[in-house]
Amino acid sequence: MKPLRQLAFVLEDFALQTPAQQLLDRFLFGYRRNGGFHKLDGVRISIARAGDLQSPPAAALLQTRVNEANLQLADLPAAVRDADALVIVPRADSTAPSEAQVTAVLTHAKRGAPCFVFGALAENLAAARTFATLAAGRQITLAAGTFLPVTWRLPQVDLPTNAPVDEALIVVQGPSALAELHALDGLLPLLERRAGGERGVRQVKYLSGRELWRAGDRREWSWPLLSAALSRSDSPQGDAIVDGRTQDLVGLGLVPKLATNPRGWLLEHTDGVRTALLALDGVVADCNFAVRLRDGSEVSAQLFRAPAPAEEHFSPLAAAVEDFFRTGELPWPASRGLLTAGLLGACRQAAARPGTWLSTPELVSR
Amino acid sequence: MANRPNVSLSRRRFSGAVAGAATASVFAPFHLRAAAKSPAKRKRVALITTIVRKFSHGQHFVDRLLEGYGWHGRHHESPLELVSLYVEQFPETDTSRERSKRHGVRLCPTIADALTLGTSRLAVDGVLIIGEHGDYPRDAKGQPLYPRFRFFKDVVKTFERTNATVPVFQDKHFAMDWREAQETYRDAQRLGFPLMAGSSLPVTWRIPAIEVPLGTPLVESVGVGYGHHGYYDIHTIETAQCMSERRAGGETGVKSVQAFKNEAVWKLLAERESTRRLCLAALNRSQTLKPAPGRTFAEPSIEHLQRVSPFAVAYVFEHLDGFRTTIFHFNGTGTAFSRDTAALNDFTYAGLTQSGDVLSTLMFLPMPPTMSTLASFFSPLVNHIERMVLTGQTSWPIERNYLTTGMTLFAVDSLYAAGAKLETPDLRIRYQPTPGPHFWLG
Repeated sequence: MKPLRQLAFVLEDFALQTPAQQLLDRFLFGYRRNGGFHKLDGVRISIARAGDLQSPPAAALLQTRVNEANLQLADLPAAVRDADALVIVPRADSTAPSEAQVTAVLTHAKRGAPCFVFGALAENLAAARTFATLAAGRQITLAAGTFLPVTWRLPQVDLPTNAPVDEALIVVQGPSALAELHALDGLLPLLERRAGGERGVRQVKYLSGRELWRAGDRREWSWPLLSAALSRSDSPQGDAIVDGRTQDLVGLGLVPKLATNPRGWLLEHTDGVRTALLALDGVVADCNFAVRLRDGSEVSAQLFRAPAPAEEHFSPLAAAVEDFFRTGELPWPASRGLLTAGLLGACRQAAARPGTWLSTPELVSR
Repeated sequence: MANRPNVSLSRRRFSGAVAGAATASVFAPFHLRAAAKSPAKRKRVALITTIVRKFSHGQHFVDRLLEGYGWHGRHHESPLELVSLYVEQFPETDTSRERSKRHGVRLCPTIADALTLGTSRLAVDGVLIIGEHGDYPRDAKGQPLYPRFRFFKDVVKTFERTNATVPVFQDKHFAMDWREAQETYRDAQRLGFPLMAGSSLPVTWRIPAIEVPLGTPLVESVGVGYGHHGYYDIHTIETAQCMSERRAGGETGVKSVQAFKNEAVWKLLAERESTRRLCLAALNRSQTLKPAPGRTFAEPSIEHLQRVSPFAVAYVFEHLDGFRTTIFHFNGTGTAFSRDTAALNDFTYAGLTQSGDVLSTLMFLPMPPTMSTLASFFSPLVNHIERMVLTGQTSWPIERNYLTTGMTLFAVDSLYAAGAKLETPDLRIRYQPTPGPHFWLG
């Protein structure tokens, strides 16, 4: 176990119910873990903030924390210099922290200090690789991710290890590129358990509007998998909002009618597995996946977002991050962080040329 | 050919895709068995209810039978055909008429008509009695006078008149009066029909998804929840009882009941170390405990509870084998219950074993409209009803619900009697649990 005496948080935001607040407060005040309330006793926390990105209420809230918990608020080099471990949290509406922040942290941090980035490591592969190289040069172990890989699943299922996967699909909502980040962070942790592991993605295609539905009709993605994923939702929109009724959204042909600005990214993995990331605002309001194995069986679940304001899904994330800091062992493969960053870039590029496969040789594992 | 489903093709089209859900089948033996054996002609059921409007219990059951529901990775069509509805109240927001018209369900003027479909014979294979919600008075103790017993007696009279019986489901507890509850149980025993009842709490998701192994040497249970007495007591009591009954020796019955309120709750917690420990353990599974201002979550402690919930109620049940159940409702800062001011909005459980270990979990209700648009926790309850009607077997012993009905009613009696300890010889109800698990796993 590594000593964890001082922890540095680099924050770009601190409003209530932002990832920054939910994570920092768990390290400050404790969090629910294994049926108890776990506190990090004896850990000093220093804070560096990206001042020009702070809203006044966020700054005021952060000052409250500084006062009540006797935190050290410092500029970035001073905050991270002596820290045994580091947490970087971007603004709630960002997929990744600014490259300047990450570079500064990795430059000024103590050699060997593990660093966790909430969200994506970067918004493209080149930046992610640069960070990985910089971190490796200073023996800093770098991990990135959201709560989606570690939150509860309803039901609590996982892909069997070495399962032969045929096709997968995930339904998310929200603006790009947060939607893509959530889709990738929800699905990749499952898929990397398949036979042969994750060996990368060779091409990506973006579709929107009617073209997305037509691609489903052409079996480029699977309507039955969408039905399986939506069967896990607790928040169908449309008639359910009007009168509470349960509905077969896919079977009744309601998905295209309900969806506003439907977007989809089709991923063809190196081993032939096909993945669909569907951003379906207006259809459901939760995150659900379905994976079909080669024997025709399916695994599906909701990735649970716990109710506000506590958003307890940040507790299993805090536990994973604390374990990472104490053991120095990555909570998940570092390659996932690189692939996620690379795919965020590829999804953005593909969206500029809808309906065209974008070749992604840089995302193929060698 | 396009494979986008449409209204007419969707169900047939997807049946092949979901039939091989091997992973789900690990958790869903009943479901797959039921689906495999679904007869071409579905079994017919009647639903008797007080009211059908958005988010009433009646609506949750009616729509799952008529529209289907998400279940084990597919949209599940009920193997039961809802053929008749008896609805007592029709507010402007009523949806029963629209559902009746769109699905061709007979909307009946009497309960007898709903069961016989206008014939002289019993014409359905099962009956659901959903006596919850609607405009009904409260009794002197503040309990809503929902007509569950009246509905049940009308069903029984029809059974007697037609000389036939079918399985019956009764939502929540049997009645608001113990004599009526006793008669309910005795009628079911006398006529020999399967009767299943209860809250959705024992069958909903658990976070974490744990079950008490049968025969566990439990010595004490605590259930923590919220709600107005007479309405939500049954939920928290069944949260605890579905776990407690699995202890070594099974359920032996309850010998006394005592209610506590406000200051008396804090005194109880101060005096009983194991109960305090379990209460806090349960609250460590809560995802909704009200935080202090400027925070989003709270560490459970007695001091915090006293701040956020001066309005607190507890019921202590002494079982005949020395086991103890304590139920806490932390209702927040008001003097009367309101969901908005309650100190939490979920139901949690903690149990203590003889060796001092604690088991705890959240019985999770994705409650609309704040957490969802559907009350999905009704889905496992409807699925158990489907199994009962298809097989004639109840999932759990009706004695559980007979006991929890009594625990609820005597607890309210004690609360109304200023916390007097009541001996409960009528609750010497001994039973063994069925193996389960019965909660939502797949």
